[in-house]
Amino acid sequence: MKSENKNIFYTKAASSSMKKALIYSLLLITVTACDEAVVLDLEETTPKVVIEGQVTDHTGYQFVKVSKSSGFYTTGKTPRITDATVVVEDDLGNRFDFVHNPRNHADSAGYYLPQVPFVGAIDRTYTLTVVAEGQTYTATDKLNSITTIDKLEYRIDEDEREDPEDPGRFYEVLLFVKEPKETRDYYLFKTYRNDSLTYNTETDVYYADDELVGESIDGFPLPIFYNNNDLARAEVYSLSREAFIFYRDLDKLLNNDGGMFTQPPADPRTNLSNGALGLFQASAVVSSEIRVGE
Amino acid sequence: MIRIFIVVTLALVSSIARSQDKVTLNGYVKDTDNGEELIGVTVYIPELKAGTATNAYGFYSITVPKGKYEVQYSFVGYTSQSVSITLDADVSKNIELGGVAQIMNEVEISERPIDENVIAVQMSKNTLNMSQVKKLPTLFGEVDIIKNVQALPGVISAGEGTSAFFVRGGGGDQNLILIDEAPIYDASHLGGLVSVFNADVIKESELYKGGIPSRFGGRLSSILEVRTIDGNNKRLGVTAGIGTMASRVMIEAPLKKDKSSFILSGRTSNIGLFLTAADAENKINFYDLNAKINWRANNKNRFFVSGYTGRDNLSFSGGDIGFGWGNSTATFRWNHLFNERLFSNTTLIASNFDYSFEIKDPIQGFKWTSSLQEVSLKNDLTYFINVNNEFTFGYHLSGRRFSPALVEPNSDESMFERTEFDKMYALDHGIYISNQRRITDALTLDVGLRLSIFQNMGPGKVYLYDDPKDNADPTRIDSMDYKSWETVKTYINLEPRLGLRYSLSDDKSIKLSYNRMVQNTHLIAAGTVPLPFNTWSPSGYYLKPQIADQIALGYFQNLKDNMYEASVEVYYKDAQNITDFADNAEIQLNKNLTTEYRQGDAWSYGAEFMVNKKEGRLTGMVSYTWSKALRQIEGVNQGREYAANYDRRNVVNMNAAFELNDKWTFGGAFTYSTGRPTTVPSAKYEYGSYLPDAVTERNGYRLPAFHRLDLSATLNPRKNANRKWKGQWIFSIYNVYSRKNAFTLYTRTKQDSDGNIIGDGTEKEARMVYLFPFMPSVTYNIKF
Repeated sequence: MKSENKNIFYTKAASSSMKKALIYSLLLITVTACDEAVVLDLEETTPKVVIEGQVTDHTGYQFVKVSKSSGFYTTGKTPRITDATVVVEDDLGNRFDFVHNPRNHADSAGYYLPQVPFVGAIDRTYTLTVVAEGQTYTATDKLNSITTIDKLEYRIDEDEREDPEDPGRFYEVLLFVKEPKETRDYYLFKTYRNDSLTYNTETDVYYADDELVGESIDGFPLPIFYNNNDLARAEVYSLSREAFIFYRDLDKLLNNDGGMFTQPPADPRTNLSNGALGLFQASAVVSSEIRVGE
Repeated sequence: MIRIFIVVTLALVSSIARSQDKVTLNGYVKDTDNGEELIGVTVYIPELKAGTATNAYGFYSITVPKGKYEVQYSFVGYTSQSVSITLDADVSKNIELGGVAQIMNEVEISERPIDENVIAVQMSKNTLNMSQVKKLPTLFGEVDIIKNVQALPGVISAGEGTSAFFVRGGGGDQNLILIDEAPIYDASHLGGLVSVFNADVIKESELYKGGIPSRFGGRLSSILEVRTIDGNNKRLGVTAGIGTMASRVMIEAPLKKDKSSFILSGRTSNIGLFLTAADAENKINFYDLNAKINWRANNKNRFFVSGYTGRDNLSFSGGDIGFGWGNSTATFRWNHLFNERLFSNTTLIASNFDYSFEIKDPIQGFKWTSSLQEVSLKNDLTYFINVNNEFTFGYHLSGRRFSPALVEPNSDESMFERTEFDKMYALDHGIYISNQRRITDALTLDVGLRLSIFQNMGPGKVYLYDDPKDNADPTRIDSMDYKSWETVKTYINLEPRLGLRYSLSDDKSIKLSYNRMVQNTHLIAAGTVPLPFNTWSPSGYYLKPQIADQIALGYFQNLKDNMYEASVEVYYKDAQNITDFADNAEIQLNKNLTTEYRQGDAWSYGAEFMVNKKEGRLTGMVSYTWSKALRQIEGVNQGREYAANYDRRNVVNMNAAFELNDKWTFGGAFTYSTGRPTTVPSAKYEYGSYLPDAVTERNGYRLPAFHRLDLSATLNPRKNANRKWKGQWIFSIYNVYSRKNAFTLYTRTKQDSDGNIIGDGTEKEARMVYLFPFMPSVTYNIKF
């Protein structure tokens, strides 16, 4: 039996929550639905280059990851490309060279960091160029400004206290923010529990536009629950329209039902050229944290 | 407009036929017991070897030379009557036929002329015999005509548990579903577990898959016409039933004996109780109400008022999430005889479909509503020139209002703002004529033409885009304002229809048909199955009408004195402007939805084989369909050809009912079909902590084959014979051998049964969702 966490309805950011909740309520109608693992007989395809690049206005947040897709049933991490040439340039002509795994962390194969640390600036446009396995991939993104987080608050969620999924984990953290209505803004949210990036479900993507939303967002609950004494942190990233589209498509891909009620899965649209998968994203980041129970 | 049209047509028609020495015999044929009009009763004059059949309103008309004749009225399940009539002038003769004694007074009202399969010009049509349908197994004990439609040759189902059906390669929105001539925009309850049609009140249902008569228009692929019973005008009758899915009650009685009657029927779900028992936080229910009043003012005028309303209400998380949808229809119909040969049916129809979705929460609370209203006026006329020549013609006018979405905050602190999406208006005119004429003893032709004039109307705003197909970053560069009744866009289409029957002998014929259909009201589904909240849209500035041409050829033969009907049909259908969403389209609450539409080509072809045994203790049907449905649409699947979601190569359906004795009847149904195509990953990759699939080809993979056996047993206790009321038990088993039939396939990071990620989270798995294992059910019916 497939059971959906009721919390899922509340935790999606803004308008995407409406659309998603609708799909889930329909799936719930199929009261007796069961599912089981099946093995698909899939054909081998040529691996594609995957690029995940990020430039922000935050120190230490700049990186580019270059990897490849692998067979659906392969185990272990996907193959990394460690000998790529990675360069970011801004629209003022500044050039930032990236080097592969400078500190030689075993976990960081495929990660490229700036040779000389830098931070991105609001309203600058950044261009990424990756040369990997003889092919050149480029992408351009604009670093948009972002509002500030007014505060975080916490409170006990009574429903969750009655029936917590994890013992003692029933504190809800609320976000207070003013959404500037004069600009067209797109956001990506990341939530941390004791400094560890956490999702309610591993396929959740927390993103939003400001189309149906008013100016005052007073107490928007973060998607995850906390224990007493946990450190809760929320990060909000500004997105360009292209990056927002990528995350919206990614959400559809990760959460599609195989095309019965939702659309059939499709690769997300990306700003990367030459058929690469992934995204190059320039974002301003704001964050706020609170110790639950203090 | 209507009047002028009628006058012009009448002048035309009456100039064709004038023969002074001929007279007309006409009238209605009804059931002695309950006054129900009988459709398809054969009226035959042996002396002349001439005959006709009663139409959908139980009316017949036959024009013959003056004389004295023995007129025979015969109908399956009824005692035939022979009446001696002297025809020296036009005569009206109403006939009542008595039913052969039936279990529970179940009258076989949906039987047809016994040789219709071979004789009628109409091909590609299936009639659902309600008394047969009621003997067959059910899901959750609820008789559902849509589930039976899904088992007809040429019809494909997306799987079980849905009310969607796909006819000869057409989409789920290409079926016009009518209840007493009023359109139903979403025929599903509980997402499709059962349809909105309560079997108690259904008199007849017919599915037209090809050679569609010119009196129908507006959808590309099929017409499902459902007519409700008129109500007993002889005496009070009450029918009630209780089953796993729902409880039903129906009252029918005369208002004035033989003159007028009413029927009131209600159905409400029980199934929510089971769900609530499992999880008190979730509640689901649905209901249906049907009402009809029918008044025979005199032989020339009869009136019907019929109404339907039904709704689903679902609530989750203790009422914090609410979701509902419903249809309401009202039909007012006036049958009028202008003279002996001219029969008119004037209908005024109103239909409403709406859905709403609500989240109750101080911050994230909102209510989202959407609706579609339609008002139609139809005037359909039949002119019987003589037994060999008949005209039908008419005028249809429909107005529609589409309200795609209104989002309102439902608390003071809600983060949402009130947002209303632009309403859309449309006017739809249909003018048609058709002539059915016997050319020789063997050859009968039915030639028809329908003119469809569609207008997308103001008030409204049309936005012009930098690139109307840029759905990633739609940029509005200008807009045009339209006042009320101002035309935004007009589409005029001519729809020729042709039917031809050539009799090889009394029990063998060949038929050929061609039809062009035009569809201006589109429901573009995101997935395979259209959902209540997939919003209907009219053709307009951007969206062009969908057009389909279909040609079909068939061989029809009856065997053993019409005991068996057999047919083979082949068809080819070619459609333009078939609408789909672009890859990755944003479907709900998108103000630039028009940039997500893509139109292209679809084509389908197939062969259908069917044998149907209509009489005897064993009745049933076996059918096999081979078919293919393909599409090619720019912007979908990168513009490459792909199989439609409902493309199934081989489909076999069998059903049978066996009357062991007057106590026990057994039913069985078996279905087999090739698995539906679906889209599966070609690879996976890492992005952040996510593990998305890489996708190459849409619908490039087949789900496993679908097959299932269902059985039922109906018990009519012998005690029934001695009591005023009759009881009946129906036992049903769905999916006897508990086949796990794939509903859909999705992928996820490999998890254990509690949803915890297995290992380092780098492994993925494909999961197959299936719905109903072995499902027994019991229904108890009572009638008095």
